[in-house]
Amino acid sequence: MTSVRKPARYVGGEGNIVRKNHNGTDSRWLLVYPDAYEVGQPNQGVQILYEILNERASTVAERGYAPWPDMEAVMRERSLPFFSLENHLPLRAFDIVAFSLSSEVGYTNLLNCLDLGGMPLRAADRADSDPLVMIGGHAAFNPEPVAPFVDVVCAGDGEEFVLEVDTVLKTARANGWDRARLLEEISRVEGSYIPAWYEPEYLSDGRLRGTFPRHPGAKYRIAKRTVSDLDSWPYPKRSIVPLTETVHERYSVEIFRGCTRGCRFCQAGMITRPVRERSRDTVKEMVARGVENTGFEEVGLLSLSSADHSDILGMCGDLADTYEGTATSLSLPSTRVDAFNVTLADELARNGRRTGLTFAPEAGTERMRRVINKMVSEADMLRTAETAFANGWRHIKLYFMIGLPTETDDDVLGIAELGLKVLDIGRQHGRKNKVTVSVGGFVPKPHTPFQWAPQDSPDEIERKLGLIRRRVASDRNLNLRYHHGKPGEVEGLLARGDRRVAAVVERAFCLGARFDGWDELFDYDTWLRAADEVGVDVGWFTRRERGEDEVFAWDHLDSGLEKDWLWKDWRDAIDAGAELEDCRWTPCYDCGVCPGLDLQHQTGHLPIFSAGTSPLP
Amino acid sequence: MRVRVRYRKQGRLRFISAIDVGRVWERALRRADLPIAYSEGFSPHPKVSFTDALPLGCDSTGEYGELTFAVPIDLPSAVSVLNAAFPDGMDVLFATAVEEGGPRIAKLLQASLWDVAYPPGTSLTDAAAQALAAETLIVARERKGETVHVDIRPAVHHLSCDGPRLRVTVHHADHLPADASVAIRPTEVDAALRGFQTELPQPALVSRLAQGRPEADGLVEALSGERYEPLGPRLQRQFL
Repeated sequence: MTSVRKPARYVGGEGNIVRKNHNGTDSRWLLVYPDAYEVGQPNQGVQILYEILNERASTVAERGYAPWPDMEAVMRERSLPFFSLENHLPLRAFDIVAFSLSSEVGYTNLLNCLDLGGMPLRAADRADSDPLVMIGGHAAFNPEPVAPFVDVVCAGDGEEFVLEVDTVLKTARANGWDRARLLEEISRVEGSYIPAWYEPEYLSDGRLRGTFPRHPGAKYRIAKRTVSDLDSWPYPKRSIVPLTETVHERYSVEIFRGCTRGCRFCQAGMITRPVRERSRDTVKEMVARGVENTGFEEVGLLSLSSADHSDILGMCGDLADTYEGTATSLSLPSTRVDAFNVTLADELARNGRRTGLTFAPEAGTERMRRVINKMVSEADMLRTAETAFANGWRHIKLYFMIGLPTETDDDVLGIAELGLKVLDIGRQHGRKNKVTVSVGGFVPKPHTPFQWAPQDSPDEIERKLGLIRRRVASDRNLNLRYHHGKPGEVEGLLARGDRRVAAVVERAFCLGARFDGWDELFDYDTWLRAADEVGVDVGWFTRRERGEDEVFAWDHLDSGLEKDWLWKDWRDAIDAGAELEDCRWTPCYDCGVCPGLDLQHQTGHLPIFSAGTSPLP
Repeated sequence: MRVRVRYRKQGRLRFISAIDVGRVWERALRRADLPIAYSEGFSPHPKVSFTDALPLGCDSTGEYGELTFAVPIDLPSAVSVLNAAFPDGMDVLFATAVEEGGPRIAKLLQASLWDVAYPPGTSLTDAAAQALAAETLIVARERKGETVHVDIRPAVHHLSCDGPRLRVTVHHADHLPADASVAIRPTEVDAALRGFQTELPQPALVSRLAQGRPEADGLVEALSGERYEPLGPRLQRQFL
């Protein structure tokens, strides 16, 4: 163990882990986050499912993370299988291996975990005695690039889904069902998709004709699973406390799920609709217990746009009162750009630490922000910066994307200009005040209005980065950070790929691709070679603008959004740059989510208009 | 109120770094809800400090630290809630309040007593006897990419063995005898034995048993005054 870097990644033994004797259980889950321990351990989804499953006395859930290449080398040399952290049991000791896929860059690690675990990579080659392989998480909303490798896909929220699958597993074991029967029963669980039961067909020009059911039990479309009341699922309660450093060391609680902002690039905001808030009381109770059970120094209030909670100021005020003068600090990631957020941040930082504030204007010009529907005017942005620096904040971080639809060089340079203007304001309040501008290349994602958009080539992304770099180069207090274009192209291939792209993933894995989200390990040439060898044209998947009649590889997975609505929103974006107001305050745009789920946005905001109701006077 | 503790770091916790140890302590103190004092200033930190880092992978019942509490506490009950809050593998074994004007802890921790366990069936008797007879024990050490040779013998206070177990007391860097120029690691004692017994298997476990004051052929533990005796049949000669 001491021959590998950071052995603490593999030993387990953290605070609040659950170790059960497998003999007393009749269903066994291995929850895997296919990235390095320090990235995967804080993942909220895995933590929630871990607790929910382990609360059942007869169910055991353990965790696994992708081994770093030095560890993989040791494991392969000594024929050690992929293992769980709790009891150090091999993958094959479990009934089901469930991977949480936050993004596409974990796909080769997923294959590596299966391969190290002694599993056939392809579902078709697996026997009754092999564990089931399941995936869930945001990237699973287009599972086709990994479809041949997985038995079951969970579309949507996992809380109720895993318990229902767990019940089926127990029945299957009790009755000695074979794999086919087990899959048939799991297919009845709402939100489940069995890729082997579907077959894609292609047109002569290479485009997809459709993904068609090939099994009597196969539904034509898979409706996503949605948990309607978050207050009845107050997890995590006892977060695992890592022994070694991870990316987020805090007790985190989701204050709401879903988002109504309608940013056209944002997959998370689209697929997690509708908004479901947790009440102030539930959040306060969870935080109090969570801090007590973990000893974490920091509490994170998570959501896609925290300040949009209808009771946010009251909630933050209460929490700030509770922890004022203690060593517990509060954080609110994902805040919008407006002065109200500075007020909130001030409230949370009563204890005195006013170091950095982060905002995501996403684009550099108002025109560009209209296209992506991120409605923040430059005046608002600068006013926010003014308030923040005036209130004693010393460092503002700004997040941007380049390569957005209809983008011109002026829009790109606008990022640099905005950064410099914010820095000017900062300087008026303190010579040492700083601004960080962080720039990433835009990757179009499924189930968003931009799913039809062409993605910029790596060369074009690099050229645009160069424009920004040259404009801000001279300023010491403006720190420019950026992501290169090549990893974004592979992410784009995997995001909007179809089942043919699975061959690229498998080939890239065989050629040694691992940890594709890590700059130091990502190898672009490996991916190009893999695509070339299996005859996939990367640019056709990434750089091609799709037409209205394009059939997508993910069309049979129903995120709740009407494709017609997404198309209209896409045309609105590029034709006119028309804005959409937040739909929790304004009349419904009929995106399709609420009526489809028989739900409305659950917020404390009034009035709420939703489909089928007329606006109140 | 300042408290000195001896604690253990064993099992899975052998693989966490010295920085991680500090983190585990801070969180356990918070979970136990003990009134630890915080430093003043912009980013307050709990007032805890720990002595020299244990090499990664080593087991120990001889780790030490000092904690400052904001108010007086009842030590036995504090230790029991703290031990309940630690992850498996870590426990406070001994705690004592520090008297004003007493010696600093670094002054008390003059040497470490190590136990090196080889696989069952290994006999160390010949190698240990030859090591004892040797005037110098030269081992190779990598320093900035270069190999240098150092004599570890002056830093070794005493060495004894019983079957596959080796027990060795080594002087700490700040408490070296006049003839010693370098502090040594326990694994270097293993390396020296390999000079006499080339087919020696790798140790299964290296443990720090305790730290304290070297005395004759044993060690007097720093906080409790407990005496650690050498192992097994006495070897004829001592390092002095």
